[in-house]
Amino acid sequence: MEKTSLVIFKKDCMGCHACEIACKQEHGLGVGPRLIRVSEKSPRFIPTYCHHCTKAPCLESCPVEAIFRDARGIVLIDPGRCIGCKECVEACPFGAMQFDDAQETAVKCDLCAERLTHNQAPACSSVCPTGCIFWGSTRKLAERVVAGP
Amino acid sequence: MGAVRKIRTACRSCHGGCGVIAHVQDGKVRKVEGDPASPISHGTLCSKGLAATQLAYHPDRILYPLKKGDGGWKRVTWDEALNTVAAKFREVIAAHGAESIVIGQGTGRDYESHLYRFANLLGTPNVLTAGHMCYVSRVGATLITCGNLPVSDWSGDPRCIVMWACNPQWTNPDEHKGVDFWRAYKKGARLVVIDPRKGFLADKADLWLQLRPGTDAALALGFLNVIVAEELYDKEFVENYINGWEAFKERVRQYPLEKVAEITWVEKDLIRKAARMYATTKPASLQWGVPTEQTLNCTDCTRLLTGLMAVTGNLDAPGGNVFFVPPPVRTVSQFARHRDLPAEQRNKQLGGDRYKLASRVALITPKVAWDAILTGKPYPLKAGLLCGTNPVITRANAREAYEALKKLDFLAVIDFFLTPTAELADIFLPAGTWLEQNHVADNWKRHGYILARQKVVEIGECWQDHKIFLELGKRMGQEWWDTVEDALDYLLEPSGLTWEQFKEAGYLKGEQVYHKYREKGFSTPTGKVELYSTILEKWGHDPLPKYTEIPESPVSRPDLAAKYPYILNTGLRIPTFFHSANRMIPWLREIRPEPLVEIHPQTAQKHGIEEGDWVEIASPRGRVKQRAKLNEGIDPRVVVAEHGWWYPELKDAGHGWDRANINLLTDNSHASMDPVMGATNLRVLLCNIARAEE
Repeated sequence: MEKTSLVIFKKDCMGCHACEIACKQEHGLGVGPRLIRVSEKSPRFIPTYCHHCTKAPCLESCPVEAIFRDARGIVLIDPGRCIGCKECVEACPFGAMQFDDAQETAVKCDLCAERLTHNQAPACSSVCPTGCIFWGSTRKLAERVVAGP
Repeated sequence: MGAVRKIRTACRSCHGGCGVIAHVQDGKVRKVEGDPASPISHGTLCSKGLAATQLAYHPDRILYPLKKGDGGWKRVTWDEALNTVAAKFREVIAAHGAESIVIGQGTGRDYESHLYRFANLLGTPNVLTAGHMCYVSRVGATLITCGNLPVSDWSGDPRCIVMWACNPQWTNPDEHKGVDFWRAYKKGARLVVIDPRKGFLADKADLWLQLRPGTDAALALGFLNVIVAEELYDKEFVENYINGWEAFKERVRQYPLEKVAEITWVEKDLIRKAARMYATTKPASLQWGVPTEQTLNCTDCTRLLTGLMAVTGNLDAPGGNVFFVPPPVRTVSQFARHRDLPAEQRNKQLGGDRYKLASRVALITPKVAWDAILTGKPYPLKAGLLCGTNPVITRANAREAYEALKKLDFLAVIDFFLTPTAELADIFLPAGTWLEQNHVADNWKRHGYILARQKVVEIGECWQDHKIFLELGKRMGQEWWDTVEDALDYLLEPSGLTWEQFKEAGYLKGEQVYHKYREKGFSTPTGKVELYSTILEKWGHDPLPKYTEIPESPVSRPDLAAKYPYILNTGLRIPTFFHSANRMIPWLREIRPEPLVEIHPQTAQKHGIEEGDWVEIASPRGRVKQRAKLNEGIDPRVVVAEHGWWYPELKDAGHGWDRANINLLTDNSHASMDPVMGATNLRVLLCNIARAEE
């Protein structure tokens, strides 16, 4: 199965935060965990999000193997197995790993795996007004990022 | 859990228009998503629209009518609430005349057709909106100049885009959304950005003109000076279609670039370069934003920008600024029955003699309403009905707005929440959100589309605004329809569609024709673009546009500048909020928990202010607190503050309306307003800053 991932072309992020709300809605999250987050450093905007790293520090740090990778390369967390130790939150170099106080477990971007199954764009990408959130085959994405949107 | 139904509708979390697919399950909206088939938004949706479920199902939302008594707010039936309003209005009309009732709304939220119909049939000429300084002021000034509002034609592939005081992706630019601009830009158009602040677009622009806030009209004159001097204008157009070209040229020559550079702080070479780029790249489109309107130069600035479009041959040309053709339905004006307001009532309009352009577009500037309430002159306003507006937060000189609304004998408010303004009312009527209404949306806009906003759910006892006006109107003996949908059938009748059929269609688009003036001329007294305005001349004003120095600036008031050394540029938009709305929506407030004031790092250092400190901002009229955000992208002489702030989480009746509300600092004196439109200066004033305690 082809590896799937998501890349944000930062130069075109204009800081509207639509991706953040679309993500919260899709994942039923309240205030607190932000699986995608845009920070402002005027006039630029810096999105923080999960890169589904090949060698994923979150996955490697998990003491109970609650974090795993599926056939599409998506790094997922099983909330049933998560013990809430936050090792993964600390391990993530991007700050993308989040903790949900409501569930007392770590939460992370699942690349909208359910939507992908139906060939729908991840929620964040679907609403982006500048179209700067790309998703799809990891190999092709890399080429696209190099070329620019 | 029942099956999920997907219902196609149109958002109205701002002025609205973006296509939405709402997911409904067991009678509740579970989720909203962008509609890829929408010709307006193409599947995108902003944070405000996406948070609609948190708005609709908010625990603080008022879901039934309220009446204020000795013990505070008390739940009543719709019958009791509407009968109370109707009885009070009848009493006021009998004793003081219908003109003693003020009807008001905030920014355009797609019920102006119904609100105006109610006001006109009631017989009051006193309708208070945001239009004196937002959009309608632009419509008014273009009506007298070229007969209609020219709108950016993004689908016509402009090769040069001038983004004049506008950030269409953070905010609603009216008409088309930012996504259409972005598509045009991405096709390789050159970009000129005029903004006192280096934002996302300024960073991307080929040319960024960082002007002194409030000097847009002077900058436009600088552009025109270059275009005239270098003969970069469309000779055929100016010869045939401009009224007063010679006189206009003479006026423009009075603004040489040295003078313009001094006024605007923009280097003259940069002005020249930008003017050349705009005038010589075809087609070129100019998108204007409200800061061009929110000073006393409102009308003149709009007329100058229209002049730029006209003399460069970009008016009603593909890819320029065009007059879109509306679909064949009844207009807001026809539905509102403006012609049926008797002349004797129209003549009683507050400020009508003074602010003639405002009067022409059927509204009053708030100052004249507050004066009438507080001084009783020229006659007192006794009662009011405000719909979807929070003037205590959003209007200039907020303290005066607050005192006036408090003093009004009787006030009814239509809203979702008990806002600081609603808390001053005697009756609260709970409105439905856009998920709870049937309406032909966007009919008031000038982009050539109408959209089906269809009811997805009903929540509590809330009624859509249109139904409130209809039911109240019937109680006042006015001519309305049995149902909201019957009224929509009437509105749609010329198109041959009923509401039920239109719902299926989703939207209608007018058939676009360019260069209409070649056949019909322009809809002005001379049939030409009146850069020399015969209407303004008749009204006793300068028929040619000019730049007037802001009455409170370092230039006009050096005495005041000693105590208030910075230019305060207010009204910075925040993408998650719409004016004073949304501060109670958890997802949105998480992104922007507190009001921010932008200060240049050098300036901050002078005052010992660090990122995140509370800052007290003071003007000659008041002081408020916002948190410091250091920004190198503004001039060190300028401070940029957000507007619209109150704290819904504070449960006292004031809800913190006087803590961070930047309009406690703004001015609404007659001298500070546009002389024909009554546009308030919401954008530029003098201030000082100091680090404040927590």
